[in-house]
Amino acid sequence: MLFILFQLGSDRYALPAHEVAEVLPLVAVKALPGAPAGVAGLIDYRGKAVPAIDLSALALGRPAARRVSTRVLMVRYAPPRGRERLLAVIAERATETMAKAPEDFKPTGVTSDATRYLGPVASDARGLIQRVEVAALLTDALRVALYPEEAVA
Amino acid sequence: MSTEPGNHCWKRIGTWGDRSCPELKTHMHCRNCPVYSAGAVQLLDAEVPESYLAEQARHYAQAKTETRPGARSAVIFRLADEWLALPTTVFREVAPLRKIHSLPHRRDRVVTGVANVRGELLVCVSLADALGITGAGAGGTAARLAVVSRDGDRFVFVADEIAELARYDDADLGPVPATLAHAQATYTRGMLAWRDRTVGVLDDQLLFYTLNRSLT
Repeated sequence: MLFILFQLGSDRYALPAHEVAEVLPLVAVKALPGAPAGVAGLIDYRGKAVPAIDLSALALGRPAARRVSTRVLMVRYAPPRGRERLLAVIAERATETMAKAPEDFKPTGVTSDATRYLGPVASDARGLIQRVEVAALLTDALRVALYPEEAVA
Repeated sequence: MSTEPGNHCWKRIGTWGDRSCPELKTHMHCRNCPVYSAGAVQLLDAEVPESYLAEQARHYAQAKTETRPGARSAVIFRLADEWLALPTTVFREVAPLRKIHSLPHRRDRVVTGVANVRGELLVCVSLADALGITGAGAGGTAARLAVVSRDGDRFVFVADEIAELARYDDADLGPVPATLAHAQATYTRGMLAWRDRTVGVLDDQLLFYTLNRSLT
């Protein structure tokens, strides 16, 4: 299985490549005033407004650095209810991919409600890599903020 | 082993330097070395200006232009003034022009003789005559001998020029113009735009069938 690697701070994280529709360079984001922390705003993706979350802001409390290596991962996000949609995830140092078997990732035993999107870890020569679960990326509050029509349905 | 500017080891002791780096034995080329990769990744750490973000945003706001990969491949060649194409899969060899030995007592103009290709005598046909193209010079410096085969049938023909390989998709083929000579229209599957010309893509199955019949 192919994973797209990125960094939060100095640690490495992985997202399954099959959940990513496209990797974009960093683009200008239209801010959403009053949006919850972690929401970067909206990205005009091929004529459609796609909500963007900034993983660095979400996990570390500081926005992603504006570098060439910071990229926008267009992930296919399947909410618990409703149809699959695109979610733009801004991630730092998204420059590498890695092939690894899903069973190489072992549970950490550490979970918290705020970081339930952090999954099992695998290791390679450069250290540990933690998997990020797209489905758990958005808390209920975030999901309602980004996809209000779904909350009504 | 440093990636500081001005201290690029690949330029000093690596592939682009004096090649004295001991790591070269294992990596063969700097591009396989993790130090070089790390140096490349540093380039990606450059800050991006506001104008870059805006430009990228404009680009990705546009609808994606899909480019179809060419599913088929054809060799483009010239007979007299006509540019034609045959599937690449039927071509076995393109050789310099050599003497074609005529066969006595042959009446039809399609079979022009035999040619010696790698010690083998192959039937030489005139595609121009089979297609009804007149004025094929069969000479000049650009002329080549093409060996084609399909289902075990092998022929040689003289092309006035062999241009290149082109990739295309069946959807790219345009209709055959009504002005095309009758014989040629029969053998043309469609017209392909190539450079500033249109090229007739030939139906290899039908063409080989006809060439085989002209042997009897």
